[in-house]
Amino acid sequence: MRPLTELLVNGGRHEVNGSVLTTLAEALRGHLGLTGTKVACGEGHCGACTVLLDGEPALSCITLVEAVGEREVTTIEGLRDHPLVEAFVRADAVQCGFCTPGQIVSAAALVRELPNPTREQVRHAMAGNLCRCGTYPKIEEAISTWQG
Amino acid sequence: MARLIRTEKEVEGRYTEQWVVVEEDPLDRWPEGPLEVVGRPAARVDGLQRARGEARYTADLALPGMLHAAVLRSPHAHARVRRLDLAPALEAPGVRAAVGPGDCSVLVEEAGYQGAPVAAVAADTFSEAQAALARIRVEWEVLERLLDPEEAVARGELIEEASRYERGDVERGLAGADVLVEAEYRTATVLHNALETHQAVCEWEGDGLTVYVSTQWIWGVRKDVAKRLGLPPDKVRVVCEYMGGGFGAKNDPGDHTYVAAELARRTGRPVRCALTRREENLASGNRHATVQRLRAGAKADGTLTALEGEFTMAVGWDGFVSSTAGPMKMLYGCENVRTVELGAKLTTGPNDAFRAPGFVEGTFGLECLLDELAAKLELDPLVLRRRNGAEADPVNGRPFSAKNLAECYRRAEPHWARREAVRARSEGPWRRGVGLASQIWYGGGGPPSYAWVRVGSDGRASVLTAMQDIGTGTRTAMAQIAAEELGLPLERVSVSLGDSSRGPYAAISAGSSTTPSMGPAVRAAAADAARQIVEIAAQRFEVEQRVLSLRGGRLVSEDGASWALEDVTGLLEDGQILGKGSRGPNPTGMRVLTFGVQVAEVAVDVETGEVRVERIAAIHDVGRVVNPLGASSQVEGGIIQGIGHTLSEQRLLDPGSGRALTVTLDAYKLPTIADVPEIVTDLLDVPDAHLTSLGSKGLGEPPIIPTAAAITNAIRDATGADVRSLPITREEMLRALREARERAFAL
Amino acid sequence: MSARSLSRPASLEALDETGVPLAGGTELVPLVRDGLVEAETLVDVRPLLPRGIEAGGTSIGAGTTLADVEHSGEVPNALREACRLAASPQLRAMGTIGGNLLQATRCWYWRLAFPCYLHGGDRCLAREGEHREHAIFAVEPCASAHPSDPAAALLALGAVVETTRRRLPLAELYRLPTEDDRSLTTLAGGELILRLQLEEPDASVYLKAMDRQRWSFPLVGVAAARYGKETRLALAGVAPIPWALGSPADLDAATPLPGTGYKVEIARVLVDRALAAVS
Repeated sequence: MRPLTELLVNGGRHEVNGSVLTTLAEALRGHLGLTGTKVACGEGHCGACTVLLDGEPALSCITLVEAVGEREVTTIEGLRDHPLVEAFVRADAVQCGFCTPGQIVSAAALVRELPNPTREQVRHAMAGNLCRCGTYPKIEEAISTWQG
Repeated sequence: MARLIRTEKEVEGRYTEQWVVVEEDPLDRWPEGPLEVVGRPAARVDGLQRARGEARYTADLALPGMLHAAVLRSPHAHARVRRLDLAPALEAPGVRAAVGPGDCSVLVEEAGYQGAPVAAVAADTFSEAQAALARIRVEWEVLERLLDPEEAVARGELIEEASRYERGDVERGLAGADVLVEAEYRTATVLHNALETHQAVCEWEGDGLTVYVSTQWIWGVRKDVAKRLGLPPDKVRVVCEYMGGGFGAKNDPGDHTYVAAELARRTGRPVRCALTRREENLASGNRHATVQRLRAGAKADGTLTALEGEFTMAVGWDGFVSSTAGPMKMLYGCENVRTVELGAKLTTGPNDAFRAPGFVEGTFGLECLLDELAAKLELDPLVLRRRNGAEADPVNGRPFSAKNLAECYRRAEPHWARREAVRARSEGPWRRGVGLASQIWYGGGGPPSYAWVRVGSDGRASVLTAMQDIGTGTRTAMAQIAAEELGLPLERVSVSLGDSSRGPYAAISAGSSTTPSMGPAVRAAAADAARQIVEIAAQRFEVEQRVLSLRGGRLVSEDGASWALEDVTGLLEDGQILGKGSRGPNPTGMRVLTFGVQVAEVAVDVETGEVRVERIAAIHDVGRVVNPLGASSQVEGGIIQGIGHTLSEQRLLDPGSGRALTVTLDAYKLPTIADVPEIVTDLLDVPDAHLTSLGSKGLGEPPIIPTAAAITNAIRDATGADVRSLPITREEMLRALREARERAFAL
Repeated sequence: MSARSLSRPASLEALDETGVPLAGGTELVPLVRDGLVEAETLVDVRPLLPRGIEAGGTSIGAGTTLADVEHSGEVPNALREACRLAASPQLRAMGTIGGNLLQATRCWYWRLAFPCYLHGGDRCLAREGEHREHAIFAVEPCASAHPSDPAAALLALGAVVETTRRRLPLAELYRLPTEDDRSLTTLAGGELILRLQLEEPDASVYLKAMDRQRWSFPLVGVAAARYGKETRLALAGVAPIPWALGSPADLDAATPLPGTGYKVEIARVLVDRALAAVS
């Protein structure tokens, strides 16, 4: 373990240790204690670990922390008060909840670009976040009613 | 007075008898329909924690000094460890302990499938533990593989003796039929893939062990771990406050728990043992593949004269044989039925319970066969099913505690009636059609289960019970039940669960049993507390108990006077009202089952074999519905898993080595949000008048059961093609279309 | 596990043959971690790669993400559609178009490190094993399928690749594996794709058959681009490399494996539909 890089996360600067293959997900969860970002596959296939890098959705489990550079990282902890959170709860878009933080992060990127997405746009933008409980219809509902 | 009785317990169709102590259930049944809180949609009481990422799952625990385990697993489908040397691993950086066969009961010398655990290492970090595994020197003796279930059956390699069932005279039934159909159906091995993988953190404190584990059954883990480690059960504390999905694969402690416990014992430090996604898809259970050879005979009017089925299940190295013949035995009132179930012992990963094990597979075969029969009879498939309804359980003649399948069929009519319009929307290569399939399953729950309710001087209530919420929303349902009984708004009730040291025994969250098992216990505990509150209030306000009731957070007298609950409980200052409740027995001599029907609409591109499910209407009878919002999520989730099993999911094995090829989530294709059709949920919401003071049954499993057959029957309606094998990939769809064209050409 | 360091050079001129360039990382990071790619040094070229779409959608910087291309109003329809239907939203937001062209096969034997032909073994394990996702062309000596949707589109669009060392037609970026060289590209060590130039078509389309509605690699992808009376066709998911199809009749020359015959059937239909769409 060695000092590796500085990270800008949810508005704060943090120093992170690790090796060259330390991923952003490991740094967030292990070093910074931000366990809202989940790791469910660890190889970029499921979307549970989604965070934003300068506002763009990214898979933190396959992002090397050293390669984040100056980009600002936003995790679910930085979106705690986003209206999407309430919308997800209201619509029952939470079953076991393990994928939910990643879903909300992806949804936040979507509604920033398209505040009133169509059903097709939601399905297109959310297809990289797998939910084994099958909460998808409620996720569609939550995103289409996120503004209350 | 406590009463000792002998009762029957059912989990996922497996019955056992047991003694239970029950108290009389003096509670009146609630009226039908939505009440004040129960029966009304409620957002999850723990939704915010989960959505904000604040809920701590087993995966999120980081105990001080915690080590990480990695498990050496067999790379071979069948092999024996000739020699194993842990010493080089012990010298690797960060390593604190290593164990092999003989050190821990779950580590084996003979590995019967790829992924069987052989050795394990604990290190400061997971990557150090993983790196150390590569240093373990193993000499393998590769043994014979057996991958094909039919070959296994032919060779007599069975997990257990064949299970045979017969009623009536099948030969006579077949001889007396006007029409016969015969077909072979196949289903693939599918994988649970809960997003939180199997994992545990074990920590010893003195002679006691705390197990933090992602589980569907806190008390099952406690019992099994205590037994295997030779501990008094009270020395084992099991914690699971939030859990990232199970679907049947997390009913047992699992190898990982024992590995963590042993490494924690050796190092004196907490140890996490978490499966990677790839390990999860090798060694944490699956829904076994099936081969179903089925026959049915019927009179011209559709009356079934015989049903016959030979079911071969690819169980694997161990695991149980799911009751795939169940639907054929139970769904229809056919007099002559014969089934045989053969569980093939293979050198593949073990079968484990997966959301309605056996019935998902068996309903696919049976309900497709029924539609093939209807086609031959030129009879409406819904008419055929109605003609063969069972008035009592055809297996043992017992009456049903409640059966509203006829009402489900009636409510299916408007969806079924859409088929002309749906077919008419076919255009170009896209053919559209509608299909249906019925559902039968258990879901009655049972004793024992207990709950406590605590009411504080602030007039708020807590439910305490050591159950688990596996993502189904049971925390919310239990809060609703307690709130209803206490006459409190939902926000004044909290539920504390997930810790065996923090509440009484609670049932397994499997077999669609959580709500029917736990709900009545919670209601009884709340009623016990409510009774005490009324008694106290009667004394304080000098009124008769019988005129008082609890409503809207107030004690209300018949004459209109009312007092806030806090005005009574506030008298106690730090004092509390404590209620306790238990689950009574299921109705004697009755069969408690769930029923339903689904109607699917599909579109098939007959040139490219693409199948799109466009709409599914799900009508199910599961007794009283506690939370219609959460219930609709359960229905949708079941259907979506069913769509995955039907269209895209399959575990593929390399025939040359027996190694699994689809262990990553790019290759193993779970449905995405873009694959989801419109889903219409219609739950009858009629309390089962014979089942507990709640009248609720479970809903976790019923919705996945008929989905595959409904889709497949809709495909036949759309295209005339008989699909008989899951998943319906492009190649399977194109094959079936080609076969249908050749058949039409031959005519 | 390989990779001991990550370097962040000040310019692309500093690239040498020892470093492995890292851009979006969606492919390289998992492969390095799984030991399928050896990389002593990872070179973070993401900040240095040209990113953006110029010249009316015909010049695309290699560091442009698939999401950038998907959302561009300028690029030809086939390329936009190929990017839109590729991978998952997160992978499209991370992954670069240059990296996408270099992605490895999804063949499970290769990904799970079986000793297959492509890994230097003596035979293709998919041919005798499970191969429903595999090739219908050039199935000898390796039956893997190339998974890039954009590569097929760019092939049909006559793309020219500009690297740190040369300019070459996209087709020449790829090669079939041989006994003494199992690689599938002609890129040299330290050589980096900088830019793609394509020819603006009169009409173009990309059609894709996959196992799910989204987030699946192509079973068959068909790109068609019409230039005047001539239409160029290219296929994804049907051969170890992106496959140019001279004419629809060339599908008669397909040599599918027992389990990939259905892909020929689908390819015929999609080719017909693509030709109809651009005519």
